[in-house]
Amino acid sequence: MAEDLVLDTAIRDWVLIPLSVVMVLIGVLRYFVSKLMRSSSPSPDPKIIKEGQVVVRARNLRAAANFIPAKSFRARKAYFSNEENGLLFVPKGQAQNPQAQMFSDPNMAMDMMKKNLSMIIPQTLTFAWVNFFFSGFVAAKIPFPLTQRFRSMLQNGIDLSTVDVSYVSSRSWYFLNLFGLRGLFSLILGEENAMDDTQKMMQMGGFGFDPSKSQFTWRVVEDDDWVSSLKVVGDWSLGAEKDSLDIVQHDWALPKFEQRAEAVLRKLVSDH
Amino acid sequence: MVSKTEEARVAVLENQVDNGGGGAWEYLCLVRKLKLRRSDKVLKHGLSILNDPGKRSSLGPEEWTLYEQVAIAAMDCQCLDVAKDCIKVLQKRFPGSKRVGKLEAMILEAKGSWAEAEKAYSSLLEDNPLDQVILKRTATMAKAQGNLSGAIELLNKYLEIYMADQDAWRELGEIYVSLQMYKQAAFCYEELILSQPTNPLYHLAYADVLYTLGGLENLQSAKKYYASATDLTGGKNTRALFGICLCTHAIGQLTKGRNKEDKDSSELQSLAATALEKDYKRIAPAKLSSLTSTLKSLNLSS
Repeated sequence: MAEDLVLDTAIRDWVLIPLSVVMVLIGVLRYFVSKLMRSSSPSPDPKIIKEGQVVVRARNLRAAANFIPAKSFRARKAYFSNEENGLLFVPKGQAQNPQAQMFSDPNMAMDMMKKNLSMIIPQTLTFAWVNFFFSGFVAAKIPFPLTQRFRSMLQNGIDLSTVDVSYVSSRSWYFLNLFGLRGLFSLILGEENAMDDTQKMMQMGGFGFDPSKSQFTWRVVEDDDWVSSLKVVGDWSLGAEKDSLDIVQHDWALPKFEQRAEAVLRKLVSDH
Repeated sequence: MVSKTEEARVAVLENQVDNGGGGAWEYLCLVRKLKLRRSDKVLKHGLSILNDPGKRSSLGPEEWTLYEQVAIAAMDCQCLDVAKDCIKVLQKRFPGSKRVGKLEAMILEAKGSWAEAEKAYSSLLEDNPLDQVILKRTATMAKAQGNLSGAIELLNKYLEIYMADQDAWRELGEIYVSLQMYKQAAFCYEELILSQPTNPLYHLAYADVLYTLGGLENLQSAKKYYASATDLTGGKNTRALFGICLCTHAIGQLTKGRNKEDKDSSELQSLAATALEKDYKRIAPAKLSSLTSTLKSLNLSS
């Protein structure tokens, strides 16, 4: 193991603190920029809202089918999935795959691009900036020892295997800040406004391209802006919902409840 | 849905705020987040914050949200002057805002000047024909004017698009019941049961409708739903217990002489009757005699 390195206090004053401050400022700036760029949501398409609601209702029907009488269930099932004008029935050929639909809607592609731009550009710039000015510094030391595995996390940019792992390089400090400042942002900008970088990363990572995967990533965004995610879920989930509704077996649960109610009442009556 | 923990938290905060402790703002936030209807409390505590310039300015931009919340609460409590003041402040701050426009239309509605309110709502709808709140308000306005068929029409139109909205289904169900259109009401309550299969109140309401519809099949279903409501409430719901007794009696009347009714169901109603008697003995002993005579007339007395 190498001797203890003594870090110059100038490194603290001119690398560690400026880097953190800059990261915070950039985070705040990015928040305001993305707020500016967020287009006021245009009135959503009634068809899309309706599709979303149909899916919710069909899902409810599927989940709680056994709680309504058989007759009512059959009527609803026919209403949802008959082959002429059922709500869940998507005529063949009309079903678009979600990706195509996404790109066919310019508004949506635009939104995506804005969102991605607002995070990629500043990130690339800051990374370049950090690399240019601060590369190769050992910026800090954490007060406890760590195993070798952490070397790639904490000493990015320093290729010395002899330096103790508890030293943090400036580039790693940048990454730690990038991912670790979320709590601070939620303090500064309010709970909901905190930029969730990790989540955005996930989004981006999932942006390539098999349908099942993109389905997943879009679910992640759901709370962010549900309307645009609904757009993607769209027709695809209508068909899926119809398929799963078709295979639901109705088995009325209520007769069982009579026995259960009897048991409940018997217990109630018997204990004094 | 409001979860148990949130409910408990609201109760704690409410208690604290009512007894002069702090936390009024947290309480108001929670009420708003959970969409509870505690208008009197919101009005009282919200106003106490708004009337204190120091507290008010410490809210920052949330101040305007509070104005809106208090305005709506005030309209609910018919304190129209307070509501008007709140809206005036908001108007000054956000001239031409749609959200404030909504409040203005609502105050017209609260005052009962229907024609003007309707005009305001429809002009708002022109900009955004799918606004859930406004569509619902127009329906309730029709109901408030006694125009039930109009309300039904509006609600149906609303549910055509927002068909997963439970509140609208419940409202529609209630209107149908009041108009004695029980088949339609039954459909609405089925929809509610589907969306919340473990809510005993929906089971109970559905059972009521089925019982009112009559007919052997419906009565038997009604009995089953009364039974499920009993089960879901742990036997604490008096109405469900009475329902079981009445259904059994009615079914007995209809199948009289046929005598192929299986015996196992009779157990349930005698149990229900015993449970009722026990409840009355405990809570309202004075009325026990009238209960026994009622049950006797249903041939159910144990």
